[in-house]
Amino acid sequence: MSLTEILILVLSFVVLLGIGLPIAYCIGLSSLLTLVVSMPSLTAFTTLAQRMATGLDSFALLAIPFFVLSGQLMNSGGIARRLVDFAKAIVGGLPGGLAFVNIVASMLFGAISGSAAAAASAIGGFMGPRMEKEGYEKSFGAAVNITSATTGLVIPPSNILIVFSLASGGVSIAALFIAGYVPGILMGLALMMVSMTIAIRRKYKRGSWESIGETFRKFWAAFPSLLLLVIVIGGIVAGIFTATEASAIAVLYTLVLAFIYKEVKVADLPKILLNTVSTTSIVMLLIGTSMGMSWVMSYENIPQEVSQSLITLTDNPIVILLIINLILLFVGIFMDMTPAVLIFTPIFLPVVTKLGMDPVHFGIVMVMNLCIGLCTPPVGSVLFIGCGVAKISIEKVLKPLIPMFIALLVVLMLVTYIPELSLWLPGVFGF
Amino acid sequence: MRNSIDKVLSWGLVVLMSVMVINVLWQVASRYLLGSPSLFTDELASFLLIWVGLFGAAYAAGQKAHLAIDILPNKLTGRKKHILNVTISVLSVLFALTVMVIGGMRLVYLTLSLEQLSATLRVPLGYVYLAIPLSGLLIIYYTIVDFKPQEK
Repeated sequence: MSLTEILILVLSFVVLLGIGLPIAYCIGLSSLLTLVVSMPSLTAFTTLAQRMATGLDSFALLAIPFFVLSGQLMNSGGIARRLVDFAKAIVGGLPGGLAFVNIVASMLFGAISGSAAAAASAIGGFMGPRMEKEGYEKSFGAAVNITSATTGLVIPPSNILIVFSLASGGVSIAALFIAGYVPGILMGLALMMVSMTIAIRRKYKRGSWESIGETFRKFWAAFPSLLLLVIVIGGIVAGIFTATEASAIAVLYTLVLAFIYKEVKVADLPKILLNTVSTTSIVMLLIGTSMGMSWVMSYENIPQEVSQSLITLTDNPIVILLIINLILLFVGIFMDMTPAVLIFTPIFLPVVTKLGMDPVHFGIVMVMNLCIGLCTPPVGSVLFIGCGVAKISIEKVLKPLIPMFIALLVVLMLVTYIPELSLWLPGVFGF
Repeated sequence: MRNSIDKVLSWGLVVLMSVMVINVLWQVASRYLLGSPSLFTDELASFLLIWVGLFGAAYAAGQKAHLAIDILPNKLTGRKKHILNVTISVLSVLFALTVMVIGGMRLVYLTLSLEQLSATLRVPLGYVYLAIPLSGLLIIYYTIVDFKPQEK
């Protein structure tokens, strides 16, 4: 029985996290403490260093810096602005039109960039001032922007789904990507319904519809950006290139587009590259140490014991899935997404596959759970970025966020218990 | 000293990152345009990622960019805050020293003495793993240099 080891691991991690040590170091040190109990210290040091190295040694992971880089290139404005204009032409006339525009633009941005952080800052930067000018409450606008930005993590391309593929031991990235469309769009629709209700109740200004000619012109302006979606996802699904190669092509494509739109100069590139490296390596260090922790857990037999106790607790699959969802929601509140996926996938995936759940389906459910955590304090990175862009304090956004959370939770339950929502589309494409 | 280390590190990272992009683009191009897939790009890309990831992590440590829950440090003031800051720095150094520097050096030594070579490029893997202890040293350096004793 490895109860002592589990206690050491969990307690040391919680304490280190609580005092404010960077999360990657927390993961590394608590793994080390646990390992030192059962093997000589020097061996433990070397083992963890080796896990870090082998954890990062993966061609699939390369897609992450590349998608971050293309997101950075899009962040400079031109692409985001064209997507916002296009979204305004198609949904701007609805009640609460600007909230709809924000959600649709975030979904489109997420669909080409794969980064919730980039969506929150790029789209929020445009939409915040516009919404305020038309009499929307600042806190409401920020809440819409923050929650809709996370749809980009479920709608492909998505770095976190690549991480899940790695953690699950090679579930097809292409299948995961296609599986994300329906749940991601459902998340967007649920947020739209909440926004519309609030907008009608508060009598926010209704925008005007644009003429067909104008709508087409906006579409045409956004077309090169939208084409990226076809190239990247189409290329991966058709098997023309791997996710990593697609991400490198996305970099080239956005670079050319940014030069054509005259928004990025050659002199800006070193700074953009360095920002990319910084964002990426924060994730990479988390991946390295999380791979160490995940190895420590399987060395101590923790996944088997957790799955054993879950199954002896109840054999009702509906209840087990509910418990797993609650744990993941809780984890998402306190842990960043990447380590959460790497550490909890090996624990829960065997349980759910035993219940007959498809790993692709579970990946989507897991990421949706953790998306909600991105919008909550204390570690919600999208929450911080969204509040920063809107220049508003975190406390003020929490109240308008609550109805959005409820909407996202409803979608999460639907996606959890109706496997077809995630598995139908991949089935159509033959996965 | 700190500024020149920053400069060398950031330029090195910019170059590595650019090479990484070009390398993978070359892989796609060689497969589709030239018809013969390039053999070394796959492996080179993975090695570059390890280097960018680890040296980048050291750079990010210098910029204090690593994610942390800073509720407690922000709440405390004066002496208590000082003690907490010392603790956080000591623990950061402890992690970098044990796992990255000592563990990393042993890993480098082991793979070099076993003469493990990479599959296609035939590079001794020990040199690739050298990034671990080196970036561990950089993290320790940044943590110590940036530590400012607080006025009480």
